[in-house]
Amino acid sequence: MKTNIKLSARNINFFYGNTQVLFDNNLDIPSNQVTAVIGPSGCGKSTHLRIYNRIFELYRNQQATGEVLLDGKNILADSVDILKLRHRIGMIFQKPTPFPMSIFDNVAYPLRLHYKLRSKEIEERVEQALQAASIWDEVKDKLHTSGLALSGGQQQRLCIARALIAEPEVLLMDEPTSAIDPIATLRIEELVMQLKERLTIVIVTHNMQQAARISDTTAFFYKGRIVEVGNTDQIFTNPTNKQTEDYITGRFG
Amino acid sequence: MTTLQNARKRPIFFRKAATTILSCFTFLSLCLAISCMCWILITVFSHGMSAISPGFLLHISKPYGESEGGIANALLGTLCITLGSILIAVPPALAAGIYLSEFGKQSRVAIMLRFCANVLMGIPSILVGLFVYVLLVVSTGHFSGFAGSVALAIIMFPVIMRTTEDMLSMVPNTLREASLALGMTRMRATLCIVARSAKNGLATGILLALARVSGETAPLLFTAMFADTWPTSFFTNPTANIPVLMTEYTTNSPFESMHSLGWGAAFIITFIILLINLTTRLFFHENKH
Amino acid sequence: MQRADNTFRFFCFACAGIAGLLMAAIFAQLLIHSTETWEHFGLSFIWSCQWDPAQDDYGALPHIAGTLLTTAIALLLAIPLAFASALLTSESTGWLNKVLSQCIDLLAAIPSVIYGMWGLFVLVPIMQDYVQPFLAQEMGLIHLPGCAWLLGEDGYGSGFGFLTAGMILALMILPYISAVMRDVFHLTPAMLRESAYGLGCTRWEVTRDVVVRYGIRGILGGIFIGMGRALGETMAVLFVIGNMMELPAGLYSSGTTIAATLANNFAEAMGLQKSALFALGLLLLLMCFAIQFASQYYLNRISKYRSDAL
Repeated sequence: MKTNIKLSARNINFFYGNTQVLFDNNLDIPSNQVTAVIGPSGCGKSTHLRIYNRIFELYRNQQATGEVLLDGKNILADSVDILKLRHRIGMIFQKPTPFPMSIFDNVAYPLRLHYKLRSKEIEERVEQALQAASIWDEVKDKLHTSGLALSGGQQQRLCIARALIAEPEVLLMDEPTSAIDPIATLRIEELVMQLKERLTIVIVTHNMQQAARISDTTAFFYKGRIVEVGNTDQIFTNPTNKQTEDYITGRFG
Repeated sequence: MTTLQNARKRPIFFRKAATTILSCFTFLSLCLAISCMCWILITVFSHGMSAISPGFLLHISKPYGESEGGIANALLGTLCITLGSILIAVPPALAAGIYLSEFGKQSRVAIMLRFCANVLMGIPSILVGLFVYVLLVVSTGHFSGFAGSVALAIIMFPVIMRTTEDMLSMVPNTLREASLALGMTRMRATLCIVARSAKNGLATGILLALARVSGETAPLLFTAMFADTWPTSFFTNPTANIPVLMTEYTTNSPFESMHSLGWGAAFIITFIILLINLTTRLFFHENKH
Repeated sequence: MQRADNTFRFFCFACAGIAGLLMAAIFAQLLIHSTETWEHFGLSFIWSCQWDPAQDDYGALPHIAGTLLTTAIALLLAIPLAFASALLTSESTGWLNKVLSQCIDLLAAIPSVIYGMWGLFVLVPIMQDYVQPFLAQEMGLIHLPGCAWLLGEDGYGSGFGFLTAGMILALMILPYISAVMRDVFHLTPAMLRESAYGLGCTRWEVTRDVVVRYGIRGILGGIFIGMGRALGETMAVLFVIGNMMELPAGLYSSGTTIAATLANNFAEAMGLQKSALFALGLLLLLMCFAIQFASQYYLNRISKYRSDAL
């Protein structure tokens, strides 16, 4: 079956000040699939992810060249509206980042930010988003308590709900389970596999089992270069590249 | 439920406009604050420069109406008063800071004393002047430079105490453990190792506190007062000092020449204070990296 | 060895005890020296408006009102300025911003008496000739029903008064508030800000909904610290307040503050007047205590956040 390409990175170079950390990379992200990005720490996988929603532009000394095509349009072009872009591409971070407000307000925040809706409709959509992030049952009785009072895993799912409510087309996840216990991690993995029905997911992870469990495509980064991209099963059972094999079999990393 | 595609959007234009307005506002207000500061400094500079001459720095101040006065005695007096305040305040303030960071830490007593120090920092300086007035001026029956020193010392004390604590608590714990493991007493470990490794920070704290009190006027009004003589009897007589001289000469005097002297004194003291401030900041900044 | 250690420890403790002792002593002394006033006038001293040394009749209300009014004006002007400069100097990292934030800190280094002299010789004439008539006439504030009493009968002032004093105070307390706010803004975790930007927030929206909410306690603490400074400031206010012992009649009117009254009258006062001045001092001290309590409460909460985050 031929899959659509949702996001396509072309000749990406990335610089912190004068130090180059990504070298002429190309990567296609298939639509409605989970794409895992793996590699030893410091190999540039998080940096690569942060190009997709241009969050790196917050820092003056960081700079990217090349093209990222979202449905065929270059999103690194100056003419692209960065607010609209980030509306279309959600992001989840290493640690849960609930805002200092109630659970309800946290989830409703992107809606109120981008849309003018009646409060009835906001309520419905918040419930929907919380259900989609499979956290509704745990928080439905305390929607108006602080989001900071939840456990780490719940906070992370809350953040996923907050990202989902704006109906993004792509969800970027930067090691979303690195600060969370194993059981909560499993729940988030299940959630990720459900969500690919609705959107395209790119997940950076340092956990190879996780990548093997949940992803359809895997990209292996090493020292700022994409060494190998392919079907997850193929990468983990029969890597063509020596470095990939060494990493996957745990010889370094 | 339908998708959000058709929902009414908040216009991005207005959201961006709000941010632009905010950026302009932040920039303008910073400019306003800094230009006011420059304005003040330029005022002091332009009024003060004309008064500066060798006689101004070497002559003693004269009573109202007499010409050819200088500020030499006030300069010396301020020097005596601030040096006195350092001698009084620094040793106990360092010890107090050591207590908070080395012994008291998070105990209830230490928390209370730390709180007292913070509150003490917020007490208006004129009330400190009142306090010392009753304590030293009323009881001895005369104003004195020493009373001024005590008043400034009281203002300095909590500042140095808290910076000492902050600086010492930045010293890594391993250093303490290593020196105790060598068989040093707590006292030697604290004084010779911990305090020594934080000495730049301590010096910065003391110098900044010194810069802060050397321009204080309110607490000196009822303690050191003013005198047109050299500060010969520091402990028993009113002592000339720059801040009170500035106040008296520029605001309470009808004579143009005295105004000019007052501005000259203002220039000198501002210059000294800014010099202390800038050098300590630069010095400390380099040490941090 | 052990003995020396214990002595050292005790010495340090005794020195730290000085802080508590001083605080108690200042309070006790003001209380003791003002007893005569409290016996003579009772609590009505606080809301009486008289100040008449000839009749030996004293009241604190004009001083309290003046203190509060100047402080309020100062805060109103200083908070937005301090907020803005803290925001600008904390968000960007260029060398220019470092220099600018150091400049703001230098505002705190200028002695308060210099502010007073600058106010008297520079700001007062400008206020009288340009600012006050401009606000009243050109901007037409005098014709607005609510504002008329604020500006006085005709909208012309002498240049002295509450507005001028408040403006100078605002400039004085700005660096204190700004420094605390800057620390607070730095405390916001980078990831939290990034995640707000990642949702498509503009800078203003991130500031309003995340940075300010996250650091609201610290911001309040900083405001209280500035407020404490403004309440007790003497020299910057003394020359420009006008020294009239009357209730504030408007923003342009002359008046007095507790600190200014103390500085002006204490040296010559005798008997009951001196006691009344001590009573004023006590009131000022109590106000400052209250403010410090509040600021320490909020700032302690912030430092707890910080230790949680680590």
